[in-house]
Amino acid sequence: MTFLIPTRRSTLKLMASGAGLLAAPSIIRPARAADSVLNITTYDKFLPQDFIDQFQRDTGIEIRIRLTDDQGKQYNLLAAEGADPTTDIVTVAGHRISQFLASDLLQPLDTDKIANWGNLAKPYQGAPQLTTDGKVYGVPLLAGFEGMVRNTDYTKASDSWELMFDPEYKGMTTYIISDFLSITMKYLGYDGDYVEYVGKPEEAQAATNAARDFLIEHKDMVRKYYDGASEVQQMLVNEDVYVAQSWSGAASKLIMDGFPVELSIPKEGTYGFLYSFNLVKNAPNPEAAYKFFGALLANPDVGAAMVRQSGFASAFAGVDALLSDRERAAIALPEEQIARIQFFAEVNRDMKNEMIDKAVAEIKAA
Amino acid sequence: MNDKKQAGMPARRIRYNSWIGQLARSPLYAMTIGAIAANRRARLIVLIAVPLAWIAFFNLGPILQMANISFMANYPVMDGDAANYTLAQYKLFFAEPLYFVPFIRSIIFSLIVTASTLIVVYPVAYYIGKVIRPASRNKALLLLLTPFWAGEIIRVFSVIMLLANRGAVNALLRELGFIDRPIPMLYTYFSLGFGVVYLIALYMLLPLYSSIEKIPNSLLDAASDLGAGPFQRFRRVILPLSRDGIISGCSLVFLTAVGVFAAPLLLGGPNTVIFPEIIAQLFHGSNDKWPAGAAFSIIMLIFSLATVGLFMRVVGGKNVRLM
Repeated sequence: MTFLIPTRRSTLKLMASGAGLLAAPSIIRPARAADSVLNITTYDKFLPQDFIDQFQRDTGIEIRIRLTDDQGKQYNLLAAEGADPTTDIVTVAGHRISQFLASDLLQPLDTDKIANWGNLAKPYQGAPQLTTDGKVYGVPLLAGFEGMVRNTDYTKASDSWELMFDPEYKGMTTYIISDFLSITMKYLGYDGDYVEYVGKPEEAQAATNAARDFLIEHKDMVRKYYDGASEVQQMLVNEDVYVAQSWSGAASKLIMDGFPVELSIPKEGTYGFLYSFNLVKNAPNPEAAYKFFGALLANPDVGAAMVRQSGFASAFAGVDALLSDRERAAIALPEEQIARIQFFAEVNRDMKNEMIDKAVAEIKAA
Repeated sequence: MNDKKQAGMPARRIRYNSWIGQLARSPLYAMTIGAIAANRRARLIVLIAVPLAWIAFFNLGPILQMANISFMANYPVMDGDAANYTLAQYKLFFAEPLYFVPFIRSIIFSLIVTASTLIVVYPVAYYIGKVIRPASRNKALLLLLTPFWAGEIIRVFSVIMLLANRGAVNALLRELGFIDRPIPMLYTYFSLGFGVVYLIALYMLLPLYSSIEKIPNSLLDAASDLGAGPFQRFRRVILPLSRDGIISGCSLVFLTAVGVFAAPLLLGGPNTVIFPEIIAQLFHGSNDKWPAGAAFSIIMLIFSLATVGLFMRVVGGKNVRLM
């Protein structure tokens, strides 16, 4: 084995390079704290690239996207960064906002500083889902719900979650365990959102256990437990599954693309959620964030593009008129079905999360 | 020698008669950089210091931080709060079958994957190392290595496209008239095993090829001359001489298989949940479960290293050590 003997010259070169590398962080200005940068943590396909390009051209502010696919991941990363966050804006689902607020991770918005704040759709003006103690904590973006999706070529019509447990489709269903556990609780007559169980942990545990046992009993119905929207889309397209619990956005997107699937809200009901852009506490670039919020609300075209990309319904006014009939049909449901949506509440989240997380692990391990 | 040095001095003075020259002649330089540059051992230490620092900061650092978190009662620690240390997370692992069962499943799965990879890859490594012409070996290796230039996720998705109900295999079988309805191959132990073996075959191939290729052909010829058949040649000559490659390959594959995460998530079914998924769920879950996730990661790391160490000791003999 030959060994390279370091010479005086090579050692000096190495030391100089090392010194340069060590000095680099102080030479290169940290971009995350620069006025011309905006760091956003959001879901894939939430922000249209055309809008990002236009905003960057108009303002000179560079947008840097960090993708997330899970509220828990986003919360954990933000909590770990503590008082020195590396992101300015996060995308929080309405039912998780209380957790972010309890950990003091968000700052209230000064809505007077947001140009075009009035361009929100009527139900979202004042943003009741995002208002705590009279302070607004986010810009409403997209609304969605947990729906039942079926392949219309291979399954019969049904207006009940029963379809997910129909032996005819054994091994051909899929769901996100944590989401479907709440729905199963609802299906079995319990409160899957745990609002009724404030101060009643035994009752909550019994309800959770009943749903858990039911899902374990019907484990042979499941082809796969999935995690992200793209997975359920892929399984439906590949015909690996025929029936699924899915976020409405993922299913609507398939309908828009012409796949033979139907999205519905069964008679037992379901849960809805609202996504918002939220300003992080101690955000490095708050002024850039306010400019971004204003630009976002300036034109309903942006909202329409977000609907087309994500499949969720927009919280911006005037979007509906910009959608094609097919796009509108993909996100629109009969009124009696819409009435079955119960938006996730903000109370008793700790109990719910604790019990559901444990039940999920038990179902997986069963 | 000294005369030569003296003769060279004026030239150096002319060349370095700037501020650099003044700096190089200063006592401070002589005591610091000059002293290091003049001493061979010091030069070696400087050269080794950078990679060692890299390993310490970027490899050992995160593991030590993970170990630290594993003893915390809560993490992240909020501003103004003090970190409380506890053994509760480690106790939880042994107290809950919920976590223990997937752990055992992971170990068994990894052992099966390791054995399968060895069985699948050994003939390939032997073929490249001994059968084909030496001039073609690099081309053959390159062909085998090409898929590994793609990312892990891309290769996992290629397996999905192969085994899905509307994937290539089912489509081919249907076209040939063997099946009417697709065979559900995806999201099973088969797809998971197939995918993981495919993903980590490289870690077995390279050490095996390296050790087999070094076996002198004269030994095989001698065994033939002495009347050994193909199987006897393999058992008495090739296998013992490729032992180092088997040990390295199995160690690498086992350690990788124990910690593999993306493939089980994308290729596994409802009954193939393994330990890394449980750990990921603790990190990504709704509540603060980082300490539990960290503790389980440390348990898995220690167990994996101990298993590989034991394997190396048993198979490799007294002279082989893990570290």
